[in-house]
Amino acid sequence: MKKVIFAMSIVGMLALVSCGDDDNDPIEPVATCNDGVQNQGETGLDCGGPNCQACEVEPTCTDGIQNGDEAGVDCGGSCPEVCDTTGGIIEVSENITSDTTWNADNIYELQGRITVTNGATLTIEAGTIIKAFAGTGANASVLIIARGANIEALGTATQPIVFTSVADNIELGQTAGTNLTENDRGLWGGLIVLGNAPVSLDGDATEAQIEGIPASDTNGLYGGNDDADDSGTIQYVSIRHGGALIGEGNEINGLTLGGVGSGTTIDNVEVVGNVDDGIEFFGGSVNASNLFVWAQGDDAIDIDQAYSGTITNVVVVQGNISDHALEIDGPEGSLDGAFTLTDVTLFGLDQNVSEGEIADYRSNAQGSTSNVLVTGFTGIGQIEVDGEMTDLVLSDVELDNDGVAANYTAGELTFSAWEIVLPEGVTSSDEIFDDRSDVGSSFETDAATFSSSVADTASATVGANTSAFSWTYSNNTANLGF
Amino acid sequence: MKFRITFVFFVFLSIFYGSAQQGTVSGTVNDGEFNDVLPFANVLVKGSSKGTTSDFDGKYTLNLEPGTYTIVYSFLGYETKEITEVNVNPGSETIVDVTLNPASSQLDEVVVVTTASKNTEASVLNLQKRSVALLDGLSIQSIKRSGASDIASAVKSVPGVSVQGGKFVYVRGLGDRYTKSILNGVDVPGLDPDRNTLQLDIFPTNILDNIIVVKSSTADQPADFTGGVVDIVTKDLPTKEEYSISLGVGYNSTMHFNNDYLSYEGSDTDFLGFDDGLRDLPIQQSTEIPIPAQDGVTVRQLTRRFESTLAAQQEQSLMNFNFGFTAGNQYNLNEDGTKRLGYLASISYRNTTEFYEDYINGQVFRKDDQDRSVLELIDDRTQIGDLGINSILLNGLAGISLKTEQSKYKLNVLHIQNGESNASYLRQENFSVNSNVNFRDVLVYTERSITNVLLNGLHTNQDASWSTEWKIAPTLSRIYDKDFRVTPFLANDNGTFTISPSEAGDPTRIWRDLQEINLAGKLDITRKHQLFGRDAKLKFGGAYTYKQRDFVVDQFAFPVQSRGSNFSLQFGGDADQVLALDNIYALDTGEGTYVRRDSNISDTFDSEISVSAAYLSEEFKLSSRLNAILGVRMEMFDLKYTGERQDGTRLEDEQILDKTDFFPSANFIYDLNEDANKKVRASYSRTTARPSFKEASIAEIFDPVSSTFFIGNIDIQPTYINNYDIRFESYGEGNNFFAVSGFYKTFDDPIEVQFIREARGQFRPLNLGDAKVFGAELEIRRNLGFIPGWEDFNLNANISIIESQQNFSENEEDARRDNLREGETLDDNRQLQGQSPYLINFGVNYDNEDNGWQAGLFYNVQGETLEIVGNGDIPDVFTQPFHNLKLNFSKEFGKEIQHKISLNFSNILNDDIESFYKSFGAEDRIFSFRSPGQTISLGYSMQF
Repeated sequence: MKKVIFAMSIVGMLALVSCGDDDNDPIEPVATCNDGVQNQGETGLDCGGPNCQACEVEPTCTDGIQNGDEAGVDCGGSCPEVCDTTGGIIEVSENITSDTTWNADNIYELQGRITVTNGATLTIEAGTIIKAFAGTGANASVLIIARGANIEALGTATQPIVFTSVADNIELGQTAGTNLTENDRGLWGGLIVLGNAPVSLDGDATEAQIEGIPASDTNGLYGGNDDADDSGTIQYVSIRHGGALIGEGNEINGLTLGGVGSGTTIDNVEVVGNVDDGIEFFGGSVNASNLFVWAQGDDAIDIDQAYSGTITNVVVVQGNISDHALEIDGPEGSLDGAFTLTDVTLFGLDQNVSEGEIADYRSNAQGSTSNVLVTGFTGIGQIEVDGEMTDLVLSDVELDNDGVAANYTAGELTFSAWEIVLPEGVTSSDEIFDDRSDVGSSFETDAATFSSSVADTASATVGANTSAFSWTYSNNTANLGF
Repeated sequence: MKFRITFVFFVFLSIFYGSAQQGTVSGTVNDGEFNDVLPFANVLVKGSSKGTTSDFDGKYTLNLEPGTYTIVYSFLGYETKEITEVNVNPGSETIVDVTLNPASSQLDEVVVVTTASKNTEASVLNLQKRSVALLDGLSIQSIKRSGASDIASAVKSVPGVSVQGGKFVYVRGLGDRYTKSILNGVDVPGLDPDRNTLQLDIFPTNILDNIIVVKSSTADQPADFTGGVVDIVTKDLPTKEEYSISLGVGYNSTMHFNNDYLSYEGSDTDFLGFDDGLRDLPIQQSTEIPIPAQDGVTVRQLTRRFESTLAAQQEQSLMNFNFGFTAGNQYNLNEDGTKRLGYLASISYRNTTEFYEDYINGQVFRKDDQDRSVLELIDDRTQIGDLGINSILLNGLAGISLKTEQSKYKLNVLHIQNGESNASYLRQENFSVNSNVNFRDVLVYTERSITNVLLNGLHTNQDASWSTEWKIAPTLSRIYDKDFRVTPFLANDNGTFTISPSEAGDPTRIWRDLQEINLAGKLDITRKHQLFGRDAKLKFGGAYTYKQRDFVVDQFAFPVQSRGSNFSLQFGGDADQVLALDNIYALDTGEGTYVRRDSNISDTFDSEISVSAAYLSEEFKLSSRLNAILGVRMEMFDLKYTGERQDGTRLEDEQILDKTDFFPSANFIYDLNEDANKKVRASYSRTTARPSFKEASIAEIFDPVSSTFFIGNIDIQPTYINNYDIRFESYGEGNNFFAVSGFYKTFDDPIEVQFIREARGQFRPLNLGDAKVFGAELEIRRNLGFIPGWEDFNLNANISIIESQQNFSENEEDARRDNLREGETLDDNRQLQGQSPYLINFGVNYDNEDNGWQAGLFYNVQGETLEIVGNGDIPDVFTQPFHNLKLNFSKEFGKEIQHKISLNFSNILNDDIESFYKSFGAEDRIFSFRSPGQTISLGYSMQF
């Protein structure tokens, strides 16, 4: 029996050991922004510093905040402006399955993934504001125009259509809010247009599911056989602060065009502060003109899967975390297709210590790039980061692999009339053209012929016609002088 | 805390017992006529008045003074058997199992005399011989001999059994969908969100009595198995007072005392196999997380709730160590010993440290899409790094049993607690979708636990012609990935590091919780009777299993808000800086890291399964040598699902499957000789394979670890399988055994998880075209005594050859055809995923009872196995054979042979564990690689 008692005590001891430490730590009083004490780095009582809202300044009728006795943002109460009560907020939480019109009298709030389904047309009148809820993955608010559906987004230069986040304080009748900047990214998803035009896919599949949407939602499919497919019209549309992410590689662009056909009209589109690419073309044959991308997180203009349309008059303004201004891939399957990209001006972010390059031609890219003006990109030298001198990496125009170098040699990928405002430490325009393939090509030597240096943008003879972008939010906010 | 454990350790060591006492002889009397035990047989000590009878279970026990005896076993109408040279040692138990065969003529008295050492019918082999179904077993003795510490590594030596990923058992090339793991004969929940089956690596061998692998179905077995049922039988109660302790250490020269080992600061109770709450979800599911532009104050507060440790730290690794303690006894409650109460308690602890340098996992290579004449694969993603793993396994088993003249009751409680902490630092290079180099710190903590209660009763009538057995077993299991942290940094060309969501992803943390409740009940009634003038046995009964599974995912991302230059530059590539207080989103600067909820409602589900079964079977003799077992089982299967799709479609307790099916089975056993030592078995059965919880659903589950989507299919149907088996068996003297088997299985509408061609990285379960599996197994166990001087050597060898043919789905066939290389042709079918074309086990062991020495050399290998089915331009991945050679020595010593020291050398060939991409005409490329190194383990155990 002695042994039994011993055995039990051992088991008991082990049980004790394993049951210990279940108690939670006592809760310490935590400094808050409403404890009436100026603590935790506050600059005033319960305001300012890293933890609390900025200290209030005297409310005005132009501060873009609903404060004081205002009934709305800067209107009503003691403000002279009467709040506009004609319109309201219309919540959009279900797919659009029949013809629908959105107008400038309302703000439309996108709640989650909204699809305009096959056969339906969504008409968006000039001046309409669409605000989207936050979230990522399935919760990301995106507007999808499925195959067979139409969008008629008919903005004008004076009354553009604005897609932005619910966090944006833009009001009815305005073209811009005041509380967000080009660095506020990923606050909602993006605009996705899917069509029936041919797409060159892995293993010659004829259709694909757009990234980030589960295959159980067949509204996410794009690609087909109709080159002239018509998905509608997108004119004078400004897309801001989007690009929510679903995971590595599953990225939502500002404007995603998957297999969109040449019957579709796309001109005067602006994308600002998107996490991922500004505008990405997955195959298709649509033509697009007057495109403006500012401060994207990844690439500004991205071409994939044998996109075969023409893009004219493009301006890219790089931001502090932007990657390539142009990222051009080719077909993934055996279906070929060549893009045409012309009249382009690329503004870099001088001396940017994180990467930010001019252009990357990759995989099997096919097409022509002409009349390009490049200015303000990172040159050669050093810069101080956190007290340490760090090498700058020259922003370049790159042939990334053997496939693309072979296409260059075969004349399937062409370059003409590039003008470069030389970055620091660079003496000749051809220095920024780099063939990184193993097979090699005459790309770097040819660069001396198809490119030249210019002193500044004013003396350039090529590039975009910037006056087309005078309507943009970017032009007005960043005082670009277009 | 660690000191407390060490203290307990020394308490064990300081106890020493030893006193002269009686010994026991115990065992089971089996019925040679019939595949059963023989109750009420007479057991007498020759030349004395001492004796007993076997109970209704066929079990007997004799308490005797130390010495050498002859014991006589008899039963009316049966041969009498005399076993000579039965040695009884003080305080120890000698096991003698015997089989009595029916006397050929009722008038003659036949006495068979044999010595105890030649009578060592291993109980498992005996079970195998007597079983009506085709089965293979593994006794605790042979597991101990092979030095395996968990069931997953032990079960590999059963013919036709392979283990994938060190955890999941495949029987005859059929994986979790077709192989069922049960505990003491009843269903227990699985521990993997993706699979039906149990992870066997968390079952330590010290709780085991034996493992039985049943390969042919009888009506009393559940219908949802095809490859086999792996039954984990926990320790039976001892027949005498018994205590033991064991201690062990293991040293691996590449993994231990290595200063490069990676780990991270965990909780105070990590060493006990669970987290004390440090890694609890800091934000409840109902809490809405605003974006900084809306409510910076709240976002900052919520972000600060997350623990800031994100980096894998280098520190010195420790050795493996383990210890265990068991106690058991049996008490007579009345004078004649017909009422007995027994108990058993066991507790064990194991702490294992692994470190893999230059570990490779999940590399991606593709076929050239544009040019079919290019055979070599193209780099898409390469990944290499170091991985440190510390795994704790703590388990306790407690049981009591009460045995009366006609009844036996048993209550067993088992708890297994496992905590695994992983830290890795990986370099990833991307070539395709993105072109970059990034570095990632990955910290993972996984808590697994199983609590199982088994209440079991067995009753017979006076003459044991009726017997009833019932079991009730509730089980609770949980697998909880607690705070899975991934912090990727993009390496820029100038040596700086940045967080880049579009290139490498945002820092991510995940909590993934799977809980399953399982309630199993079973009733079996057996009636012995006469049919065609011969003994026959009618069996009928029912079973009910209810399973409920809850699966919840909470995922968060940590984007970095910049205003001026890229804010993440100042982290300098140090993951611990990402959530350092100074770098959390601050309202005055508008910069810094903030939290964002990334989980979706479609990741979460709640399902219920119930299976009600009833069966009837008759075992009878068609002639004196031909035994037939015919039966039919009915099962009602019902699956209900609650969950929501991303598009808002919601199912609430929706019945997805409701099936009532009949499963016939027939087993025939023909004895080729009078002694029933040579048998031919043949069997047919119909079985089923059912979709798992998440397969029969509308769930859309994004797995951030593999960046893949799993999409449920509510139209999925169960698979039905026809199984045909034939086997020849020969039982020789002692442990000598020879068997050769063949099997053939056809599958209607087999389920397989298939990629979706138009959506890269998305998968869905489908009923595919028909499949078949066939193969052969050969097993030899032979004492080498025919070579003079080799009497103490035994040889064990088995070889299995398995071929499977799975027809392609339309999607898969198209994708394969479109990606054929020039000169390559498309086969009509492929092998099943996870099936090894061959399995080989070979072992020689030396066992000398006189000097107490044991030694064994064991070799195990699985053939090249399809691990991942290729997807379009991504080729198939094959696990490479791992040549596992082990050597063990042990020595028993002490007056009462109570001490034992063992020494074990693993992976003597120093082989690596590898998987390759294989494509027509191309050089193989590595999918995964790790080098387990060589481990030397030293163990000590003592019985008292």
